[in-house]
Amino acid sequence: MDRSVVITGIGVLSPIGIGKEAFWEGLKKGRAGFKNISLFDTSNFNVHIAGEIEFDPVEFLGKKGIRDLDRSTRLINSASKLAIDGSRLEITEENTHYTGVSIGTTFGSLHSIFQFDREGLLEGPRFVNPSHFPNTVINSPASQISIRFKIKGFNTTISTGFCSGLDAVYYASDFIKLKRADIILAGGVEELCEETFLGFYKLGYLSGNDGSDPICCPFDMRRNGIILSEGAVILIIEDEEHALNRGADILAKVMGYGNSFNLTGYKKNRYEGIGLKNAISIALKEASLMPEGIDYVCSCANSTKELDRMETEVIKGVFGEYANKIPVSSIKSMIGESFSASGALALTAAIGAIQRGFIPPTINYKERDNLCDLDYVPNEPRQRDINTVLVTSADPYGQNTAVVVGKYG
Amino acid sequence: MDKDGKRVVITGLGVISSIGIGWREFWDNLIKGKSGISPVTSFDTSNHFTHNGGEIKNFNPEDFIPKGNLKYLSRASQLALAASRLAIEDASLSKDTSRMRIGAILGTTMGSVQTSEIINELMVLHGKTDFGDELLCQVPTHSSPSVVGSEFNLLGPNFMFSTACSAGNYAIGYGFDLIRFGKVEIVLAGGIDPLSKVAFTGFNQFSAVAPERCQPFDKNRKGMMVAEGAGILILESLENALKRKVPIYAEILGYGLSCDAQHMTQPSVDGISECMIKAMHEAGIGKEDVDYISAHGTGTLANDRNECAAIKGVFDSLYKNIPVSSIKSMLGHTMGAASALEAITCALAVKNDIIPPTINYETPDPECDIDCVPNEARRQKVNIALNNSYAFGGNNASLVLKKFAID
Repeated sequence: MDRSVVITGIGVLSPIGIGKEAFWEGLKKGRAGFKNISLFDTSNFNVHIAGEIEFDPVEFLGKKGIRDLDRSTRLINSASKLAIDGSRLEITEENTHYTGVSIGTTFGSLHSIFQFDREGLLEGPRFVNPSHFPNTVINSPASQISIRFKIKGFNTTISTGFCSGLDAVYYASDFIKLKRADIILAGGVEELCEETFLGFYKLGYLSGNDGSDPICCPFDMRRNGIILSEGAVILIIEDEEHALNRGADILAKVMGYGNSFNLTGYKKNRYEGIGLKNAISIALKEASLMPEGIDYVCSCANSTKELDRMETEVIKGVFGEYANKIPVSSIKSMIGESFSASGALALTAAIGAIQRGFIPPTINYKERDNLCDLDYVPNEPRQRDINTVLVTSADPYGQNTAVVVGKYG
Repeated sequence: MDKDGKRVVITGLGVISSIGIGWREFWDNLIKGKSGISPVTSFDTSNHFTHNGGEIKNFNPEDFIPKGNLKYLSRASQLALAASRLAIEDASLSKDTSRMRIGAILGTTMGSVQTSEIINELMVLHGKTDFGDELLCQVPTHSSPSVVGSEFNLLGPNFMFSTACSAGNYAIGYGFDLIRFGKVEIVLAGGIDPLSKVAFTGFNQFSAVAPERCQPFDKNRKGMMVAEGAGILILESLENALKRKVPIYAEILGYGLSCDAQHMTQPSVDGISECMIKAMHEAGIGKEDVDYISAHGTGTLANDRNECAAIKGVFDSLYKNIPVSSIKSMLGHTMGAASALEAITCALAVKNDIIPPTINYETPDPECDIDCVPNEARRQKVNIALNNSYAFGGNNASLVLKKFAID
């Protein structure tokens, strides 16, 4: 494996800021991005808030060609524009065949599927609008990036739930190493929509399901579910030599990544720590790091009872004695659970930690849970030089992914 | 990592299709030129323009999955589980093979969409929102690789590619990468798709569906047929397969991906040409080495015309000598399963030196003047096969398979 993988650009749309500087600033200030949902009527639900993003796609994409694009597609195309511009990347006839797209999304087309099907049910199948059909395929957000920015190398969509965003980076890093591409737009996207909200609500995932005030407080004793949100991230993943040759700013390097599955049940999906533990071990080994070589863990804890405890146990299992010394925080306390986008948002936070020398806090932390007893960087950010960050994702269907990023140079 | 890492071979095949359960029945019927097209019964088509599809009529999930578990599984997951069981048995993968070193990599277009359609009907037509957890838990598309991983204890990377109608080749290709890379020894890879009402409606509204039958490359072709299926392959490092002393169907030499970057639904000649060229380049073969092309061949005017133009452009003067057939003439378009079922077909073609036909072929089209192996299977030496697949979004993937020889 001769090639080294670096990150040379970031485009991010999140509930706490658009663009990497605003996003990092939001994390540093410990700002929460939750507000009343405006995208759909919530009067039939007990929960009315989410991490909804206010954005105008015209600002990033212009007016042309966006009319028939669904929200996920508009979000991820806007993120692409930010990333391409920020990385001073020019896609030309020469480099387009070595430039690719790798996007994680799972419910990116769910709203479009339901709306398209709804029209058929209510109006009859001969009266649905054919121009909405292409939005029903899950690869439509990714494909529209290639169409808009003329990227011809390859175009991949990965749907692995909570792990999708990190898996898209994992896949992209493999593709750089295998010389399948020199530059890859990799990331994740998930839109907030009524259907996804309904699903999480019905399954009892949302904080506030029972009528109480929703609260997002990872690792805190009071945690009782997620606040759903949306997000879109594009990272420019690049072969190191290629980046150096074109004089790109290198923001971080991808040091190692691991992926492992753990068994789950038919009836009820559950977290088994062993898969995440294996994924982290593989990532550390690939990065040639001992556990104490990690300066910060950007955690996937989302304020559910089970996941936060599981990740705490896994960190103790992997890091041993060092577990109590390593800062572990969850940015989901500020931005909520954006599902397929969450891993890519965490990676963006990790790069911010490396670039700006701070550890984002876990906000809303008040009551200690004896089963969650690590250093969660409660409520206040911490100024510190960060050289290496471990980013994790775990899905209740058994997928687990870990990525280690580090300071370049 | 050099391009030439470990050699990767195919050691097991699992098929659930409208023309056969298990690869033997599937292959027999492919060679006989049997059609799997019939009137759709899983939803009401009376208000659609067309009524036929490639529905699997004789798949009984209880043959593969304990009855009590069925209600937790979408049809996509049922198809995935059944085909995986067949492939694992075919490859004689015993329980004691190290499961950490086995991945499960699937591809799909619509995934668990049938479950979404059921939920939507309950909400929209019946005003119900009290559907049970077991239905909701089927909706995420990664529930399918999850049930496969859990059932067979596969602890390596577990992925779902949603690159629409080329997803099977994407999954097989990445499985090949993971083994070549040395990340795992074995990958269960392939594609699945249930018959989807949303897809059936959408393609109908595009006027892309043939009323009766699928006639790829025929001058009077009237479109594609929406279909369902599952194709799973066991990919394995050559050294592991030799160690286990299992029969080998074929070797994977490489693959190529490209993106049209032009239009969501109209295929581009440049994009699909690029994809074939990349695949052959990675495989280290020349155009004169290709003995058979398994076409994407959907039977739509645009696809077949553009695919033939691309083949002519890439293979130049050789193009009339290379048999190019489309099994979609028999199965219809099984979406995410299509390129996986076609990869299985290529593996059996190189193994047996037989090329399945393009059925329903009657009238030559000057724009499609390739040798489409009309109506009758052909016995012919097949050393190398090229498996083409294209998709919505211009997500193209071509795979190269070779007859296995030890050196």
